[in-house]
Formats: sequence, structure tokens, C-alpha cells
Amino acid sequence: MFSITQRFQQTSNQALSFAIFAAVFVVGTFWAQLYKDNAFALPSSVGNVQPHINVRTSRYYGSINGKPKENLKLSFDLDADLTPLFNWNTKQVFAYVTATYNGTLKPSVKSEVAFWDSIITDKANAHITLRNAKSKYSIWDIEEKLSERDLTFKLHWNIQPWVGTLVYGETTGETLIKISDSKASSKDSKKPNNQQSQ
Amino acid sequence: MNLRLELTRFLNLCFALASAFMFWKGLSIVTDSHSPIVVVLSGSMEPAFQRGDILFLWNRNTLNKVGDVVVYEVDGKDIPIVHRVLREHVDENTGKQLLLTKGDNNAGNDIPLYAKRKVYLHKEKDIVGTVKGYIPQLGYVTIWISENKYAKMGLMGLIGLSALLSNE
Repeated sequence: MFSITQRFQQTSNQALSFAIFAAVFVVGTFWAQLYKDNAFALPSSVGNVQPHINVRTSRYYGSINGKPKENLKLSFDLDADLTPLFNWNTKQVFAYVTATYNGTLKPSVKSEVAFWDSIITDKANAHITLRNAKSKYSIWDIEEKLSERDLTFKLHWNIQPWVGTLVYGETTGETLIKISDSKASSKDSKKPNNQQSQ
Repeated sequence: MNLRLELTRFLNLCFALASAFMFWKGLSIVTDSHSPIVVVLSGSMEPAFQRGDILFLWNRNTLNKVGDVVVYEVDGKDIPIVHRVLREHVDENTGKQLLLTKGDNNAGNDIPLYAKRKVYLHKEKDIVGTVKGYIPQLGYVTIWISENKYAKMGLMGLIGLSALLSNE
């Protein structure tokens, strides 16, 4: 009566319905746990932001056809406790500091850029305390200049689960910094920087 | 040898293939992505994603945020790349968004991977989808089958054998 295909179909049907049930259960309990731990309103502070502007002419620093492009690096302090993001389904937390700002030439352009990020795989390292940390990335804008704007800094996080949905959130701390004109600190702009521009 | 039985069996096979195809295309329409489920092929997003992990994509969002993991395709290469958005610039008048991406496990950003002379991705043109869900390791079967010719032959043999043996 039974054939191999029939048996295969029945087994796979059962496996599929079990998988759907398990997926709903895992995702539901994971989110419930995060809400219970108040993960979506964690406090944080980004402070002591020291911007350093310099002008680069390499394609890998945003320059197009050798036209000078303002690059922004910074040092900053960061305090946050991301321990509540770790529960039974957390594989890693990707924490990142971004800045949002508006365009100067085209005010309708809104931008968000990441200055620093870190992968945290262990609950023991989830309490972040940084002093005078250097930004990981040198940031340039689609416009030539990045200075003379207001940048709003914020710490965001992303949970990578063992299985299920990726969860995103931001912390409550917010810091507004005005980046002043670049002329004072653009001395090294004359430095040839061609080693990477091939 | 019963012709009617053989025809029914053939029809059942067609039905199974057609429903699988319908499921895939239906999912494509719902998610607005031409490949709504992808298998990770490289280690550039480790430790978040390893080779063989299955990702579920969604592409109905009009904009991406920094930190989103997106799948994109570069003109001229047909391998989809799974990386994280590092910067986004959106013009709110036109709705056009430029994205710069980077793999978590790579030192630098993705500009060297993009098509010639391109320094940004365009959200609506280049992005295949944003990663929403994740299942570890299960997709390794497809990598194994597509990269190992013995596995491919073995699978074909198994299918053939089961077709021969499945007489009621």
C-alpha cells in the first residue's frame, strides 16, 4: 500500500507543520523576552565628541576623479549597558554609533552614517565603556564638504539570533554636535595619497 | 504495465513541480524580491552568518536604514552579496536612496566590489532584499549538491531508484 513517495510526502508534511509551529513559538517568546527586559529603551550616552576633518583625494576616501573630499574622523566617549539584549536566542549583538544630518546644498537629502561598530558575542562584554575611542571609519558625504553641519549621534543595536528574526533597536541617548569649518585642521590635505587610488 | 496508472503518476509529478514553482513565485510577489530566500555563500558576514545559512528577504520597504543587512547584486556578476549598510543618503523629494555597504568580517567597505566607477548602491535598482529571518546551516545541502558532482549524481540516482521502486 505504502510507496516511498507517499511516505516521503507524509514525513515532509509533518516536518513542515512542526517547523512552522516551532518558528512561531521561538519568534514569539524571543520578542516577549526582549520587551520584558525593556530592551527597546536602554539608556546610553555618546559624549566628548572631538571631530577631525581632513581632505582626501583617493577614490577609497570618496574622491571622484581626484577632486578633494572632506573626510571626518572623530574621537568620542561611549557608555551603554547592552546586557538585557542577551537571552537564550542571542547569538551576537552588533552595536553601532551613527550620526544623522541634513544636506547643505540640498536640504531635502537626509543622511545617516556609521562611525563606529562592534560585534559583541558574549554577555560579559555587553557593558560598553569607551574613553577617547577613535571612530572606526573615515566618513565623507555625497557633497564635497561635511563640515558646518549639525550631527546627531546615537547608539543603535542589532541582535543576530541563533534562529528567527533579526531585531533592531536604538538606545535613548542622543548627542548633537556642530562640526565647524575645516580650514583650521586641513593642513595634511596637500599630502599625496595615491597609494590606494589605483 | 498500466498506461492509465503511468499517466497518473506523471501527472502527480507535474503537479508537485508546478506547486513548488508556484510557491516560489508567489513568495517572490509577496516579498517583491526576485529571490526571497537565499543561502549564504561566503564568510564575509561572520560571525553573524556562516556559509550555508538560510536567509529570508523582504523588499517592500522603500528605504533602508544603517545597520540593515541587505542582499545586493552587482551589474555583470550574478552572485548575490549579503552585507550590512554602513551609510545611507536619501533625497526626500525624489525618494532615491544611495547606500554604502560593508561585510562585518571585512576590513574595508564594498566600493571595490561594486560595478566599475560606482561608489554607491541604488536602493531600488541594486537591492534584492533586506534580511528579516534566519535559519542556520540548513542551506548547506544546496551548496553541497551544487558544488559536489558526486552528491549531484547520488541525488539523481536516488530519485531514479525511488521512481523505479515505487510500484504500488
